[in-house]
Amino acid sequence: MKFFTGRVVKRAILLFSCLLLLLASVCFAKDYDQLFTDANDAMAQGDLPAAIALLKKVEFEKGDESGAFVRSRMQIARLQFALKDMEQASSAAKEVLAVYPDNSEALNFLASVKQEQKPRYKVFIEDCLRFLPQLLKGAVMTITLVVCIILISPIGGLLIALGRISTFKPVSAICWFFIWLFRGTPLLLQLFFIYYGLPSLGITFKPFTAAILGLGLNYSAYLGEIIRGGIQSIEHGQMEAAKAIGMSYWQAMRRVIIPQTYKRLMPPIGNEFIALIKDTALVSTIAMVELMRSADQMFNAYFNVTALILAALIYLLFTTIFTFVFEKIEVRAGIYENR
Amino acid sequence: MKTANQPLLSLKGITKHFGSLTAVNGVDLDVCPGEIVVIIGPSGSGKSTLLRSINFLEEIEEGTIVFEGNEIGYVTSKHGRRHLDVPHKICALRSEIGMVFQHFNLFPHMTVLGNVMEGPLTVQKKSPEQAREIALDMLAKVGLSDKRDVYPATLSGGQKQRVAIARALAMRPKLMLFDEPTSALDPELIGEVFDTIRDLGKEGMTMIIVTHQMGFAKEMADRVIFMEKGAFVAQGTPEDFFANQMEHDRIKSFLNRIL
Ligand SMILES: Nc1ncnc2c1ncn2[C@@H]1O[C@H](COP(=O)(O)OP(=O)(O)O)[C@@H](O)[C@H]1O
Ligand SMILES: [Mg+2]
Repeated sequence: MKFFTGRVVKRAILLFSCLLLLLASVCFAKDYDQLFTDANDAMAQGDLPAAIALLKKVEFEKGDESGAFVRSRMQIARLQFALKDMEQASSAAKEVLAVYPDNSEALNFLASVKQEQKPRYKVFIEDCLRFLPQLLKGAVMTITLVVCIILISPIGGLLIALGRISTFKPVSAICWFFIWLFRGTPLLLQLFFIYYGLPSLGITFKPFTAAILGLGLNYSAYLGEIIRGGIQSIEHGQMEAAKAIGMSYWQAMRRVIIPQTYKRLMPPIGNEFIALIKDTALVSTIAMVELMRSADQMFNAYFNVTALILAALIYLLFTTIFTFVFEKIEVRAGIYENR
Repeated sequence: MKTANQPLLSLKGITKHFGSLTAVNGVDLDVCPGEIVVIIGPSGSGKSTLLRSINFLEEIEEGTIVFEGNEIGYVTSKHGRRHLDVPHKICALRSEIGMVFQHFNLFPHMTVLGNVMEGPLTVQKKSPEQAREIALDMLAKVGLSDKRDVYPATLSGGQKQRVAIARALAMRPKLMLFDEPTSALDPELIGEVFDTIRDLGKEGMTMIIVTHQMGFAKEMADRVIFMEKGAFVAQGTPEDFFANQMEHDRIKSFLNRIL
C-alpha cells in the first residue's frame, strides 16, 4: 500500500511538474508574443530605446523552436543600426552567432555593419566604380540620341516653319496640323504609339529607330514653331530690300532672313535641346537602354541610391556643358551687333 | 543728257487699292533717260505705293508699266485675270531698277562690303572676285571705301544710306527710286546723302525721288510733281512749280507746313 501510495505520489508529482512546465512554457511563449506586440507598438510610436529594452527580455532557451530569440536579437540589431549605434548592433547580431554560428541573416547584417562603419566617401567611391561602367554605356546612348536629334530637328523645324508661312494654303495647313498634333500630345504617348502601336498596323520599328522617329518628329514640331517666330520677327524691310536688288523669295530667305534669326533663335533652341537631354529618358520605356534605364537597372539590382545620384550627376554634366556651349554660339551668332 | 526721245519709263493709269482705300488713282508718268523727277506731297498721298508699284513690291490692279519700250511685269491668264508675271521675271526686272528706302534696310549680318556685293554675287551670280571689285567701285563712289569691313550697326545714318545707295548701284540699274532717303536722318547728315545723289545725277542716272527737301528739289529736279490722294495734282519745272503752282492752295499750305 505504502509502495502503491509512494508510486502514485511520484507519478502525480511528475505529472504535475510536467503540467507546470507545459503551463510555464505556454505562459512564457504567450509572454513573448505580448513582448513583440509591445515592442512593435513602441516602435510605431518612435520610441526605439523602449522597444529595445522590451526585446532584450527575450532569453535564449534550448532549441528556441519558436525562433523568438533570433527574432528579438535581429530586431534589436536593426534598431540599434537605425540608432547608429554600430557597437550595440553588432553585439546583438553576435549574440545570435554565438548560438547559431551559420545564421545567414546575422552574417549579412554584420557585413553591412562593417560596410556602414567604413568612411562614407569610401563606400560612395566603391559604389561609383561598381555602377559607372554600365551608366557610362547608357550615357553614350543618351548622347547618341541627343546628337542625332540636334542634327535632324533643326532641318525638320526649318521645313515646317517655311511650310507654315507659305502662302500656298495646303502646305501651311499640313504644317499647322503637324505642329498641332505633336505639340498637343505627350511625347511619351507618341513614343508608345510608334513602338507599341504601329506594329498592330503592320509597321514595326527597332527601339532605336522608334526613339529617333518619336523624338525627331516631336522636336521638329517644337523647333518649327520657334523658327517660324524667328523668321517672322525679322523686320519686313529686310525682305523688301532683298527683293529690291532682285533676289527671289528663296534667295532672300537663305541669304538675308534666316541668317538673321540665328542669334534670336539660339536661346529658345538651346532651351529645347536641354529639355531634349532630359526627354531622352522617356525612351527607356520603349526598350532603349540609355542612361535612365541603366540607372534604373542598377538601382533595382542593388537597391542603392548611388546609382540614381550618379545618373543625375551625368545628366547635370551634359546640361551644363550644353548651356555653356549655347551661350558661346549665341555670342558668335550675334557678333555683328556689337562691332 | 536730257534727250526727249523715247521715255525710259512710262506709266499709264496706275491704280492700287488697299481694300476700299485707293492709294494710287490713275497715275500717268513719263520719265526720260537722265531725267530727275521729284515727287512731293502730304503723308498718305500714295507716293511710296507708287514707287513700290514701279518695283513690283505692290501688285497694281490697273494700269501699265512700260520700261524701255516694253510693257512689263503683268500677264493676263486664260480666264482673263491679270496678275504679276512669274517670279524669276519679276526678279530680273527688279534688278534693273534700284530702290533706296527711308529706313536704309541694310543687311545687319553682313559687312558694308558684303551688303554691296550681295546683289552681284547672289542675283547676278558673279564670281566673288568680280563682285568684290564692283562693290569696291561703288563704295568708292559713295565715299565709304574705308568702312568696307565694318558692320552697318556702327555707321551713322548718313553713312548707312550711302551704303544702301551703293548696294542698289552695284546692280547697275537703269533707274533709281528714292523713297524719302533723308527723312530718317538727323539734319546735319542730310547733306552727305544729297551730295551722293547729286553726283549720280551728274553722271546721268535717271531718278525718281520722293522727298520733302525743297532746296534739293529746286536745285536738282528737272520736274517737280505734287501728289495728293493718290493722284498728281500739279507738276512743272522747279522754276515754274515754285513760281506759279504756288497759287494752288493745297500746295501752298503743304509747303508752309513742311518749311
Ligand atoms: N500695305 C498696306 N495696306 C493697307 N494700306 C496701306 C498699305 N500701304 C499703304 N497703305 C495706305 O495707302 C495710303 C498711301 O500710303 P503711302 O503710299 O505709304 O503714302 P505716302 O508714302 O505718300 O505717305 C495710305 O493711306 C496708307 O495708309
Ligand atoms: Mg511714304
